[in-house]
Formats: sequence, structure tokens, C-alpha cells
Amino acid sequence: MNKILLANVDKPDQASIAKYRERGGYKSLEKALGMQPAALIEEVKASGLRGRGGAGFPTGMKWSFVPRNTGKPTFLLCNADESEPGTFKDRLLMERDPHMMIEGMAIASYALDCHLSYIYIRGEYEFVANKVQRALDEAYQAGILGPSVSGKDYALDIFLHLGQGAYICGEETSLIESLEGNRGYPRIKPPFPASHGFLASPTVVNNVETLCALPWIIQNGASAYAAIGTEKSKGTKLFSVSGHVNKPGVYEVDMGYPLLDFINNEAGGIAKGRKLKAVIPGGSSVPVMTAAECEGVLLDYESLAKAGTMLGSGGMIVLDETTSMPETLAVIADFYAHESCGQCTPCREGTGWAAKILKNILSGKGKKSDPDLLLKIADRMEGKTICPLADADVMPIRSFVTKFRGEFEELCTD
Amino acid sequence: MPKFTLNDREIEAKQGQTIIQAAADHGMEIPHYCYHPDLPIDGNCRMCLVEVEKMPKLTPACTTVVNEGMVVRSENDRVKEAVRGVLEFLLINHPVDCPVCDQAGECRLQDYYMVYGLHTSEIPLEMKVRKRKVIDLGPMVVLDQERCVLCSRCIRFFDNVTETGEMQFFGRGDHVAIGTFEDRPLDNPYSGNVVDICPVGALTSRDFRFKCRVWFLHATDSVCGGCSTGCTVRIDHRDGNIFRLLPRRNVEVNRSWLCDEGRLSFHELAGAERVVRPSAKGRDGMHAPVNWEDALRSIDSRLREIRGASGDKSVVGFASPSATNEALFLFKRYLGAARFDFRLDSEDKNATEPEDKILRHVDKHPNSTGAVKLGLKGDDLGGIEDVTKAARLGQIRAGVVIYFKPLVRRQSDVQAEARLAELIESLEYSVVFAAHRAEWQAAASVVLPVAVWSEEDGTFTNYQGRVQLVGKAMRPPGDALPLWEVLAMLIHARGDESPWMSAEDVFKTMAENEPPFRGITWDQTRLPGVLAG
Repeated sequence: MNKILLANVDKPDQASIAKYRERGGYKSLEKALGMQPAALIEEVKASGLRGRGGAGFPTGMKWSFVPRNTGKPTFLLCNADESEPGTFKDRLLMERDPHMMIEGMAIASYALDCHLSYIYIRGEYEFVANKVQRALDEAYQAGILGPSVSGKDYALDIFLHLGQGAYICGEETSLIESLEGNRGYPRIKPPFPASHGFLASPTVVNNVETLCALPWIIQNGASAYAAIGTEKSKGTKLFSVSGHVNKPGVYEVDMGYPLLDFINNEAGGIAKGRKLKAVIPGGSSVPVMTAAECEGVLLDYESLAKAGTMLGSGGMIVLDETTSMPETLAVIADFYAHESCGQCTPCREGTGWAAKILKNILSGKGKKSDPDLLLKIADRMEGKTICPLADADVMPIRSFVTKFRGEFEELCTD
Repeated sequence: MPKFTLNDREIEAKQGQTIIQAAADHGMEIPHYCYHPDLPIDGNCRMCLVEVEKMPKLTPACTTVVNEGMVVRSENDRVKEAVRGVLEFLLINHPVDCPVCDQAGECRLQDYYMVYGLHTSEIPLEMKVRKRKVIDLGPMVVLDQERCVLCSRCIRFFDNVTETGEMQFFGRGDHVAIGTFEDRPLDNPYSGNVVDICPVGALTSRDFRFKCRVWFLHATDSVCGGCSTGCTVRIDHRDGNIFRLLPRRNVEVNRSWLCDEGRLSFHELAGAERVVRPSAKGRDGMHAPVNWEDALRSIDSRLREIRGASGDKSVVGFASPSATNEALFLFKRYLGAARFDFRLDSEDKNATEPEDKILRHVDKHPNSTGAVKLGLKGDDLGGIEDVTKAARLGQIRAGVVIYFKPLVRRQSDVQAEARLAELIESLEYSVVFAAHRAEWQAAASVVLPVAVWSEEDGTFTNYQGRVQLVGKAMRPPGDALPLWEVLAMLIHARGDESPWMSAEDVFKTMAENEPPFRGITWDQTRLPGVLAG
């Protein structure tokens, strides 16, 4: 198993610039600064790196959509608003190895001809933000950031911005709105951020984990990265596993690693010797899989899609046989109702309504018609809103109610 | 010009138009709450979802730009089901208090429910989200957060039209509500517009609230009489009383807006006692009622006598920039070779002087431009003070004066009235056409009752030179008559031909005789009006 992102997180005190340099840190940046930006973009394309925030869009291609010579500045925004329930991988990278992210940002900024970059970090990560800020200060002092990056004729500033506690601001257009000082409402696309993003200028938003992969790719070459993983899902992926496992935590595996092996080996198997009931493989917004559905499934974009779910952010939640599925869904639905920004009607009203129905079901007031009503609400929300938050509620609702209908019906007696 | 198909009908759109705009141009309404033709697109209500061939998801008609060859369906089962879904979502937390809601009868929730909904509520009352009600937002607007569909029209109005930004969303999820910071009042001069653009009963008019159910009201198309902008309006009235003024959309003048002063200007009409009968000053110096026939006959003989003795220039016609073009035209024809003016102040200059960046002009008369175009700005006189001076010197002996109380008041009105009083005092013989009583009228020789703005047909010429139709909503009180009609009678009393049976007849004669109005037809003065030469 390759260790690209988590090679150093288990060693003590790797967050300082001295330690980072000791193990060859910022060498990739120097190498990148010796290359043409266009060649860098080609390199990232060739590596097959895909966005690790959840959507899995090819990173190199995203960069190549940015128009050049627009007369406007280009911005790189690092999405560190990690808020999807079950997801806590970026936090580890930023806490333990922040210079890897800064180096990745500097490489990406240079490739994009960006001179001003922001890290948008969730407000609840204030203690993480302090560590990132310390790393940024070190990078400035060392001359890695500022008017002359690593002594080269290239200027780059990176600022840290703390969010104020809204899940929606992890969606890239709301992140941009929020960074501009507006209410965090997703924007209607088109226009896309690539051409009209932050301050109506060309903008790339990349996830922390995506950016952290760049130093390794530049140092070892695109083909080395592309050699890891499957045909379409390249490299390694972080999974933050929680729930009923013996060893919850963040693990790095090659793309294409078997899901059940991951649960049984890396995560230490199901706790207390119980049986597996279900897995939410990629953060609370992706469809749940029954234990039977997990058989033979591999941890990569394609295999999980084929199994009717998604790789998402890699926030894996493992549920054992004692879990109440209605209760679990109620927690998830409550989260999306709480986090819906309220802009589009179907999401604003639908998420709240679904959460209330589930609460009723749990308190014994569920009606026989409620499972179908939940499915109807899901249909009426799905694909009808500006951003995918409604769909993030639809996917668990539909998969839980269909796959574990009996448990819901048992509670809906009224 | 891209052509596309909407529900099997081929439509040609303007370049860059969205589906909802192109459809509206061809008389097809796609249901919507947040879309408004005069506000930036927001795409939040999701009511206008349509099916576009080759697009996997339904797409909002308000945000989707028409492309050549696009095939759009807004009425198939898939779209109807989606619209029904959005409507049901909007209603789950709505209080459904139509019986006590002022918006009932002109509410988009009610209208669309009848077309798309007709479902039974699946959410029990105690599960509804409660929000704040009856929030006082200043002199024009009352807010009920529970009735709001959160379309953001009001927010966009204050952000983009007045650029004052008073309103905002608060909270999130189904607890989102609109409001102002700390409930501060909306005190900008256009705040009433948000009541019009609110598609539901969330923002209601403080002035109109609970006065009348809207289905009892009759609507008359007209033009605001409050200033020289000439905003196109609708007068809503019942039993001879005006209940409210609403803007009618006119992209050439006021788009969809109306200022608060204009909106409330009709209250001025009821604010003072009306002149309801002709009266003449007797030997004792007191006014006594006379009938129309005697009044007209005595005016004709006195003016004839003064003209005979001192010449045409000893008579002044002092017009009003609040009278219609038709009245002013006949006024000029009646007085012929007399001297003319209409300026109590600097109306001719103020007519084109903006009072703000949005709609209002400094001149609080609706027809100063018409008065200038009809040649009523005296060549040898510089306004009312000159007229009074000439009267004091005996150069002017008689005056025929039109007086309309301004519908929008300004501090300078007091001085203007004082000047008018001085003029009447200085004249040997004076005839006053007035709709409202004023103290100084006691000094006039004859006072004739005329109709106010809402009681007669006619046209106004706004600051752009745009001629627009003013509609008669109700009959004038007592013996009062439209001014053009009184002047037509005076022309008849003099023994001249007076063939006009309506304001439209007068307009036709004016269009034949007055170069600025030449070739314009009465029908052309309807929305959006027509520019005079």
C-alpha cells in the first residue's frame, strides 16, 4: 500500500517547516517553478488525479478550463470547509502536515498563474486554522511565500479565511459568495467559477486532499501516480472511517482496494464481534449499502458507482447489526434540514419536512403512509435545486427507506 | 434571433432572452414567484421548472437562455408534477390564513393552487414552522413572515433599484425569514413597491390594508398626477372612492415602479373641501351660487366688454400645468389673442429636473411640458409675478385662472398659493376654475367647479414629451364638470362652433391644429404612450 499523503502524520512534530524540509519538503515546488505552467497542467492531467472533495472531477481538466489573459486575476481557493458528516480526513492533513498543503497550493497557483490564493477553512476548525496559520507564517519567513516564491520571479500570497459554521459553504459557489462577504448561497451555473468565480474572476476551487497530492506527483512524476489505483481511479485515497469498527480513523489506501478488506483489516473489523449491517461509503450524503451489497465492491469511483453509491469524500460510516436505520436516517435528515441554506424552495421546505416526519416516526407517531411520503418528498426535491444539497438529503432518504423499509414500517403504526 | 419550440409552438426569441421572457413576450405565462421582469434573475423559487430536450434534469425557465432549435415543454406531466411539488412545499409551512389576508384575490399562491395544487394538506398544523407576524416596517409596509415564499423580490428591489439594501434574509433552512435589521423602518421614498411585487401576502400595504377586498374594486388605467414623470398607473376604486394607486408596467417611463408620494397622492384629493357649484361675487362682495348658464353668460359679456374697451392683451389666461392637454388646448382657443402664462414657480424648468435617480422630478405638476408645447408660456411674461405686476399697473384687467391643488405637496406650495391670491386681488375681473376650495377664491369674480384628475379623461405630456392617456375613474361631485367641457361651453356661449362631445374629440382637433401633437391618435396615447414633437 502506497503512503503518499499520510507518510508522515504518525511521526511527531512534522508540522514545522524545518521538519518538512528535512524530508525533502518544498523541493517539488522548486521543480515546478522550473517548469512551464502549461506543462504542469499536462503533468497533473496525466497523473489522473481527481478532485477529492466529493465530485471526483479530473483536477488537470478543471485547471485547463480556466481562461487565460482575461485581464482579470486568477484565484486558487483551497476548500478546507470539511463538513460532511463522517468526513475528517482534511483535518488530519492540515493539523499534522500543513506544509504539504501549502506546497500543493503554491504548485497549483503557479500552474494557474495565480498570485493570490485563499484557504477557506470551516469555523469549527479554529484550532486547525491556528496550526495552518503558523505554517503560513513560517513559509513567509522562509521566503517560500511572498513577493518572490522560493527566490524565483513569481509572487504568491496565501490568506486563511475562517468560515462561520455553514455546511453549505463547502459547495464551491457558496464558498466563493461567503469569501466575498455575502450570505453563503450557491450560485446559479453557468457561469462557472472557472471563468466567473471569486470577484467575478477566473477561479479554481480545490479540496485540501487534492492539493496535498501535488507535491508527490511533481516529485515522482505523473506516471508513478497513475501507476497506482485502477484504470480510471488513480492514486491513493484517504478514508475517514467511523462507526462500529474497532479502529476508527483516517487511512490511506490505493484506489481499487476492496471495501470489506478495508473494514476488516485497516479499520480492525466490526467492534464487539458483531455483524456488519450497512455501510455509508463516502460521507452521509451518499446512498447506504447493505452488508450484502458490500461484497466484492472496490474503493474507487467506478466500482462504488456501479454498486449504486458514490466514493464521495471518503467519509465512511460503518453500521453494525444493532443499528436502528430510522434513527440513523433521522440524524442525517436533521443535519441537512439544519444546513439547508434556504434559497431554493424544494430543499428549504423538503429537508425540514422530511426531518420532522422522521422525528414523528421515532416518537411513535409515524403514520403508515409516512415511508411513501418520505419517498415522495425525495422525488420532489431531487434535481430541482441550484446546488446538490437537496440531493444529498434525497440519497440517504431514498436508500434507507427502500433498503430497510421493514424497519420504518414497524415504527409507522398510526 | 433564435427560434425554439415551446409546447409544440414555434417561437422566436430575442438574442439572450431566457425561456420565461420569450414565453411572456408571446403571451404564455410560465408559473413563477421569484422572477420579475424588472429585477435581476435569482432562480430560487423553482416554480418555473421546464423540460428541455436533451437536458437530463428539469431546468428553470427564468435562468435558461434560449438556444436555436431548443425544444421546451412547460405543460407535460413531468413538469406539472414538479410544479405541484414546489407548490406543496411552499404551502406546508404557510398559515393558509386567506380569510384574513389582504392579498386574497390577487395571491399567486391561491392562483397556482387552483391550477396545479388542489391537494389536501399532509402536514398537521402543529408541525408547521412558526415565524413572526405583523411586523411594522415603516409608513408603507407591514410584514408577515409566515406568509412569505422567500422569493427575494423585495430584497432585490432594495438592493438593485433603490440601492438602499434594507431587507435581507435571516436564518437558514425552513427557518429563513425576510426582514430588516432590528426591524428598522423602510423609510426610502419607494418602499411601497415591495408590496406590489410581493407575490403573496407577506408584505401588505399599511395604507390599503383591510380597507376593501380586492375583488370589489374597479380598475381604471391612468397616469399619476403627482409630478412631471407621468408614471403609468391603475386607479383602484369603488363607489366613487379611490382605494389605491398601483403602477402599471411601462418600460418607457416607470418600469414597474411608483414612488410612495405618487402612490398616496390620491389622498390629497379628499383632503380639502370641493367646489361643487358655480358661484359669483355679488354687489355685497360675497359669493353666491349661480347656475352654469348664468355664469357662462355673465363671463362672456364681461370679457367681451373688457376686451372691447382695453384690447385682447388686457386679458390674461393663467393656465395650470396640472390641467390636461385637452383643457389647455380649449383654454387657448377660448382666450385667443389674450396673454398667457402658467408658471406659479419655475415649472417649465423643473419639469425635466430629476429629484432623484429613480423616478421623481422636481416639478410636481403632471403636464408642464404639455403647457409649454401648447404655447402657454407667455412670450412677454415671466411667470405669475409679472402677470400680477401688469395687473397692478392696469395693463391687465381680467384674468381667467385655472387652479389645481398639487397632489404631491412641497414647501414652496405655500408661496405659490400666496402669489395666486395676490394675482386675484390685483385683477379687476377674475374667473377661477377650481376643483378644491381655497380662501383666496373669495376675491375672485366667478368660481367654476371642475373635475379633478381622477374624474376626467384626457392626456398629460410628461417630462420626456410623452403623451399618455389619463382615465376617468369616477364622476365629479355636484355640478362640477371636466375643465375641457366647461371651456367647450364657454366657446359655445361666445357663439363659436363647439362640436366636441368628449375629450377624445378635443384631442383630435388638437392633433389637427397643434404642430407638436400633429398626427398623434388617441389610441397611441395608451401604454406606453407616444412622444410629441
